[in-house]
Amino acid sequence: MAENSGLFTLDSAQAYLSAEPEMTVESLSGRLHTVSDGTVRTIFVEGDSSVIAFDTFGTPGRARAYRNAIAATVPDKPIASIVYSHDHLDHAGFALDLAPGAQVIADELCARVIKLRGARGQAQPTRVIRGPENTLTVDGVDLVLLNPGPTHGSGNLAAWFAPEKVLFSSDTIIASAKYGFMPDYHFRNLITYLRDFLALEWDRFVPGRYELTDRAGFERGIEFIEAVMTACQQAFVNFVPIWAYEPMKAFCIEQLADRFGDLEGFEDHVGQMAIRIVHHYLMGGWGLEDAETPGVLLAGLVTL
Amino acid sequence: MEHSCREHYGIFTIAGDLPIQGAYRDICYQPVRDNIWTASEGIYRTIFLEGKTGCIAFDTFGTPGTARAYQAAIGRVFPTKPIHTIVYSHDHLDHTGYAADLAPEAKIIAHDYANRVILGRKSDGQLAASETFAGERTSHEIDGCYFELIYPGPTHGDGNTAAYFPHSKTLFMVDTVADGVGYTTLMDWHLTHYVPVMERFLALDWDLFVPGHFWLLTRARFIEILNYWKRLFDFGQQAVIDGLDPHNWADLNRYTDEKLGPLYGREFRFQEYAAMNLSRYMQHYLTGGWGIEGNLSPRLGPL
Repeated sequence: MAENSGLFTLDSAQAYLSAEPEMTVESLSGRLHTVSDGTVRTIFVEGDSSVIAFDTFGTPGRARAYRNAIAATVPDKPIASIVYSHDHLDHAGFALDLAPGAQVIADELCARVIKLRGARGQAQPTRVIRGPENTLTVDGVDLVLLNPGPTHGSGNLAAWFAPEKVLFSSDTIIASAKYGFMPDYHFRNLITYLRDFLALEWDRFVPGRYELTDRAGFERGIEFIEAVMTACQQAFVNFVPIWAYEPMKAFCIEQLADRFGDLEGFEDHVGQMAIRIVHHYLMGGWGLEDAETPGVLLAGLVTL
Repeated sequence: MEHSCREHYGIFTIAGDLPIQGAYRDICYQPVRDNIWTASEGIYRTIFLEGKTGCIAFDTFGTPGTARAYQAAIGRVFPTKPIHTIVYSHDHLDHTGYAADLAPEAKIIAHDYANRVILGRKSDGQLAASETFAGERTSHEIDGCYFELIYPGPTHGDGNTAAYFPHSKTLFMVDTVADGVGYTTLMDWHLTHYVPVMERFLALDWDLFVPGHFWLLTRARFIEILNYWKRLFDFGQQAVIDGLDPHNWADLNRYTDEKLGPLYGREFRFQEYAAMNLSRYMQHYLTGGWGIEGNLSPRLGPL
């Protein structure tokens, strides 16, 4: 296969991997910009002599389109640094196509997962950070990178830009109800960790998908997930057949439509969210990420 | 939190009573082979063993009420033989959440990986193991019952362990293979090496498989079902390539009807779960394996 292929093994993936979609860039300040291919969204920052790109998008073609969008916005400054928001390939899988010589900054757990995965095109982080908060100065830009604990994926880092009053957090809260089956979410402490971000001063939120929102939209997003979590517990109380999509969807619409029915995608997605979240209570959470005091099982097996 | 539920409440956080926790469910039971029995409430299934002086129960069922019904069922078959040992298949509450209601004084055996999660979770009603084992394979002779516990590598949940009864040519393993399209979005499955890890069991001499859900399977049927999960890797990739949105429920169902229906449309629960299965496999290619467990490279040689 000519392209870096992530985990794909089918030759027919070539066209999918190569396609370069149109990217839409929006400036959040003189130096901070957000970019989207219509689904996935990220940010990039202009430094003194280079650009710091968060994430890579999810195919080689998208990574190249991202690179071109950055070059059109910030001419004459190369991408010298990439920050991975988390380990997932649809966000951070193709640094080798975006900027193969760049330093790659990531959380320690994210780096461990990436090393194990060995996906084709996903560069191993070169600068690993640890702990809930790191302030780094990269090419004149102060980056505040926050990992409050397991939320989604592994080693998920949010970025707080105090001067711009902007928070970026990928695949945690979105400004709609289009969460689907909520892949690789860790629900045990999710709401607590997301509310921790509200202790910071910011008024604009950049999610990892779809449209931007403000602080109120972020808070409402938390309330929505929390409400689905409560409704899923109520499904047990009411003896709803929790294994079945249609009854769970109907129950959650009945419980939540008054408060959240206006969210885009509510009716089409709340059933999927419910199937996932109801299993959290049925099964008890997945692994140590979902423990009362979270950890990571077997992380010690991976050396960086 | 202070909880007002009169039963063990697992990890529920809502206030008030949880009637489903205490609800009684009839448990069906039947002999399997030799000293092995199987029990089910219709969806979940497990096994228990008759020892010389007592019984060995695998798992607990998923609520206090079903745990008590399980205890009553075993007591009906072996009224003079109390449950002195519980073996956990894995960490999940719907299978092993309520030893405190099944047999609170019993010795509990579990794989170390499962027990680490259980200790961290602190779920109300789920007791930690009193005896753990590490590694891949261990044999037990308890009260006249011989069995081997086998952790083949990451499959589903944590420390998911099969019980192998070589003298009875019987294998028991939970939430890995069940008949048909029996699992929703493959919750807490570690897909990367799931199929080759499960194929390791084919090196053992058994012809009867007891799953954690629904009915018993032959070895041939076990292989057919594994082949379904194996083929879904290509279907999942192709669905991404074809531009299917893994979060669009209507489109997922149309796609599975068209692409998978001709091959698997008659399988048990295909209409309910094939779209969820496909969505999960698509996510494997979109996001990569999940976490450390979803990306480990386990030993894949014969057991």
